[in-house]
Amino acid sequence: MGATSPIRKVGVLGSGVMGAGIAAQVANAGIPVILLDIVKEGGTSRSALAIEALERLQSVKPAAFMSAARSRLVTPGNLEDDLGRLADCDWIIEAVLERVDVKQKVYRAVDSVRKAGAIVSSNTSTIPLATLLEGLPESFAADFLITHFFNPPRYMRLLELVAGPATRPEATAAIRDFCDIRLGKSVVVCRDTPAFIANRIGTYWIEAAVREAFAGGLTVEETDAIAGKPFGFPKTGVFGLLDLVGIDLGPHVAKSLLATLPANDRYRAVHAESVFISRMIESGLVGRKGKGGFYRLDGSGGRKVKQAIDLVTGEYREIRESQLASSRQGGSNGARGFSKGQAMRAVLESPDRGGRFAWKFLSQTLLYALEVAPQIAVDLSSIDEAMRAGFSWKWGPFELLDELGPAWFAAGLAAEGLPVPALLTAVRAGTFYRVEGGRLQQFSLDGSGGYVEVARRPGALLLADVKRAGPPVSKNGSAALWDLGDGVLCLEFTSKMNALDDAILRMVRKAISLVEGESFKALVIANDGENFSVGANIGLVLFAANVALWPVIEASLYEGQQAFKALKYAPFPVVGAPSGMALGGGCEILLHCDAVQAHAETYMGLVEVGVGLVPGWGGCKELATRWATNRERPGGAMPGVAKSFETISTARVSASADEARELLFLRSTDDITMNRDRLLADAKTKALALVAAGYTPPAEVAISLPGASAKAALDMAVAGFRASGAATPHDVVVAARLATVLTGGETDITESLSEEDLLTLERESFLALVRTPATLARIERMLDTGKALRN
Amino acid sequence: MKNVVIAGFVRSPFTLARKGELARVRPDDLAAQTVRALVDRSGIDAADIEDLLLGCAFPEGEQGFNVARLIGFLAELPLSVGGATVNRFCGSSMQAIHMAAGAIQMNAGESFLCAGVESMTRIPMGGFNPLPNPALYERYPQAFAAMGETAENLARQRGISRARQEEFALGSQRKVAAAQAAGRFDDELVPIVTGNGAKTQTISRDGTPRPETTLEGLANLKLAFDEAGTVTAGTSSPLTDGAAATWVCSEEYAKRKGLKPLARIRSIAISGCQPEIMGIGPVLSTRKALERAGLKLADIDIVELNEAFAAQALACIDELGLDPEKVNLDGGAIALGHPLGATGARITGKAASLLVREGKQFALATQCIGGGQGIATVLEAV
Repeated sequence: MGATSPIRKVGVLGSGVMGAGIAAQVANAGIPVILLDIVKEGGTSRSALAIEALERLQSVKPAAFMSAARSRLVTPGNLEDDLGRLADCDWIIEAVLERVDVKQKVYRAVDSVRKAGAIVSSNTSTIPLATLLEGLPESFAADFLITHFFNPPRYMRLLELVAGPATRPEATAAIRDFCDIRLGKSVVVCRDTPAFIANRIGTYWIEAAVREAFAGGLTVEETDAIAGKPFGFPKTGVFGLLDLVGIDLGPHVAKSLLATLPANDRYRAVHAESVFISRMIESGLVGRKGKGGFYRLDGSGGRKVKQAIDLVTGEYREIRESQLASSRQGGSNGARGFSKGQAMRAVLESPDRGGRFAWKFLSQTLLYALEVAPQIAVDLSSIDEAMRAGFSWKWGPFELLDELGPAWFAAGLAAEGLPVPALLTAVRAGTFYRVEGGRLQQFSLDGSGGYVEVARRPGALLLADVKRAGPPVSKNGSAALWDLGDGVLCLEFTSKMNALDDAILRMVRKAISLVEGESFKALVIANDGENFSVGANIGLVLFAANVALWPVIEASLYEGQQAFKALKYAPFPVVGAPSGMALGGGCEILLHCDAVQAHAETYMGLVEVGVGLVPGWGGCKELATRWATNRERPGGAMPGVAKSFETISTARVSASADEARELLFLRSTDDITMNRDRLLADAKTKALALVAAGYTPPAEVAISLPGASAKAALDMAVAGFRASGAATPHDVVVAARLATVLTGGETDITESLSEEDLLTLERESFLALVRTPATLARIERMLDTGKALRN
Repeated sequence: MKNVVIAGFVRSPFTLARKGELARVRPDDLAAQTVRALVDRSGIDAADIEDLLLGCAFPEGEQGFNVARLIGFLAELPLSVGGATVNRFCGSSMQAIHMAAGAIQMNAGESFLCAGVESMTRIPMGGFNPLPNPALYERYPQAFAAMGETAENLARQRGISRARQEEFALGSQRKVAAAQAAGRFDDELVPIVTGNGAKTQTISRDGTPRPETTLEGLANLKLAFDEAGTVTAGTSSPLTDGAAATWVCSEEYAKRKGLKPLARIRSIAISGCQPEIMGIGPVLSTRKALERAGLKLADIDIVELNEAFAAQALACIDELGLDPEKVNLDGGAIALGHPLGATGARITGKAASLLVREGKQFALATQCIGGGQGIATVLEAV
């Protein structure tokens, strides 16, 4: 799409949390945005509201902008003086107060200035499209639709799209493509019903869980231990989730739903105003943004203690882990040998109050989803997608039902005397999803009793799709190779957290020999995981160090260096496709790829110093070389060295793919994909483009480094950090070893260093550090707690 | 021997590095406007100028290429005027004055522009390519001692408490605020014009002072260099962009031209000291200069002592036995800033102009220098 997109400038009206966040995400896509809000009289500027919103965006955590440069694409203004600036906007997004009269006033103003065909959409979360359009001209309705973002817009992948009967199909298509490809959203088409899909089911889910928790006499911790991880719900659980989003939001959502839902809607029965919660809101206990919520951090005793509220007395007390047997069944993380469904059923069938609670809230939630599905969505996968992308459920309701077994669930409902919804009856002994001919199908909502394909949009491809189609080309305990078609092979990591180990290195070698053997043309390194790779398996390093198997560590270091180097110089293109974290060894393998197609949310870093080591699989070599040969940095021997040293010695991790570019983890020739679901297809396209352009492997580059003089300068800087308390004693030791590598060891600026010279320096420094007790203590702490030891 | 006088002094506003209004101004442009204003204001016959001697502590990047010569071109000085860039770190532009004085006394010219500049925004302290001699760093690491560390060393060695440093810093802020309010900087300030066309902007006020400073505020600042130390950003001179320029000529020349000089240079001195306590440098150089002038400290009415750090300035005051009432009448670098290459010209020019304003007889300008040196100039009323 890119330059051909009809949307080249966007206006956002309303600079509250949602409007501002949407503006930031549009800017992240490289599109200029006009952000307008009402005039603030008596302020320093009439546009103060939008200006202040932009300032907040620049400091909010997690970051709204993918890089500082993106924030310059947002121009703040006000709805009176700057309305005319909307005239050249191709898309105008309304995110003002959730009141029909206010919204319609804005629409009339917009309609007076917008250019012909400019698309207008509302970010309403509850108001149906038909209501919003009442009394507005047909010409406006033709260009109008609902685009409902979730908070925070950069990170929540769901976008609910509602088009009306009058909406021009081209307008809908343009917005759908733009939100999908440029904003990276999972666009779910919804029917025009109150609260659309995610909030309709999500609100019911929360209210059912809260109500049943009170009714069943569960504690806050017990509730969250069950209505969370065991079923793939956010691990905060429902009370933790309410604290996060704000407890005071609930009554507003409930009011809006009660006003608009059909009279016989099951929500009316589950909803009951809770005196307990009303009192909490009155006392300012609205969650993390307030004085506390269902949980709070109490610092009155000197140290911070996590407390939970007692659901009977309303008093806070120290947190108590759930002791219920049901909450220890493990649910979706069930014991080995059990399927996820079996493990979940074990929770639901537990005889204790936890088990009863689990059955009650979950059966009601799933029952509701089954009942409303045909009203709210065009297909089941839309509902599952909405719950995954909008509420961070690991599985949507129909995927959950498939895990549990629809027949088992139907029997359970019948046993309770609950109605068995038509959809559940229709699927009978089957499942809502099935694989036919290697393709995923879903049970149709059209009442035919048949299945239809779960269609991916053109350009979207998941490794899961490839896996369904056939067996791997090769596979071992930590990695697999898949045929992506068109001569492209894919290397997938399958180890825990995609940590790199010897088995992965063997698979790298195997991939190279397979592609070289002319059965393939290119290699893509990708996986469907939340994180590309968290780094090398340091548990293995610790094990070897504890029994003094130094030669084993050295051999593994050497093999990693050589395997990655073999990727770089292989006679075919290698394209890395990271998303999420790509740390340590995961970053190093990407640094050796010929090209990278990165998901916008890629967090890259050489973080080895955190465990008292230096990057030892060519990461120092590659980053030092990139900085040494970078033409845009200031001249002289030192600036490049200082940059690579600063980046690695502080374990700097990019906060986005955009920022990875600034750190030279990505090159200007590497590309960014906004939508996670398009990453694999984009990477494959990039690999094939390199093949088509007549790929030749890079020539080895020799670089000159300034040696001991530069190391002295870096040592001085570190001594200053040590004195000021910013560096620990072992930081100084690690930094000195890192400085030796990055300055070229005992070289002189008149000499040149080969890749092998730099790899040797990496190994020497790594092996020296891994023998220090302080480094081993750091590794142990990281393995035990996931946190860095500052020794 | 010829007498040497300081016949003119101006400076640019001083603004905070990176955050201030001069951050976007190239140092050569900044210095050129300052030098040009000195020539225009003082009625100097430009054709008579022998040389432009320009102090700069990190003469590279935009301060490179013998920037003094380029500033001569930018300021449209006659092509006959020479240009030399002088580096003695913080003492650079006082050194420029000393070199001019020596040349005049050698009969090697009668009229000199002695200026200094530093854009600490655009050329980082330490330069772009710090490449210290590793063997020297190994054997004698204090040769490269960081400035903050030297202040901590002095504070520790001399028992100068954090509270005393903060009181001194507050005093400096108050004096600068009072001087600013009373317009006592107006004569020395040269407005700097930046940008062109519609984007033209004129900067005419110092951006460095923090008149809102309080003891409570200072006490809450984090330690800047040493987690077990006493020195904070509030008791250190800030990184600053600025330029200063003086006109140095023979007394005969001034008389011949019918000009009224500010002060006569009575004596000068350079001295070295331990680099790890470089802040004590002014002690020995002051003693040498006083001896060469045949004066005692008690004879000195006005002192301009550069405030690199409060700890350092207090150590010098203590050791020399300076009367605090005579030191830095309009405040010092803690409030006004310390653009390394420009400070020497500022404090020497300031001491000279204070002699006139206060109607006093003798003045001393002195400063410490990174690497372990001191530099001093004794002035007398003409």
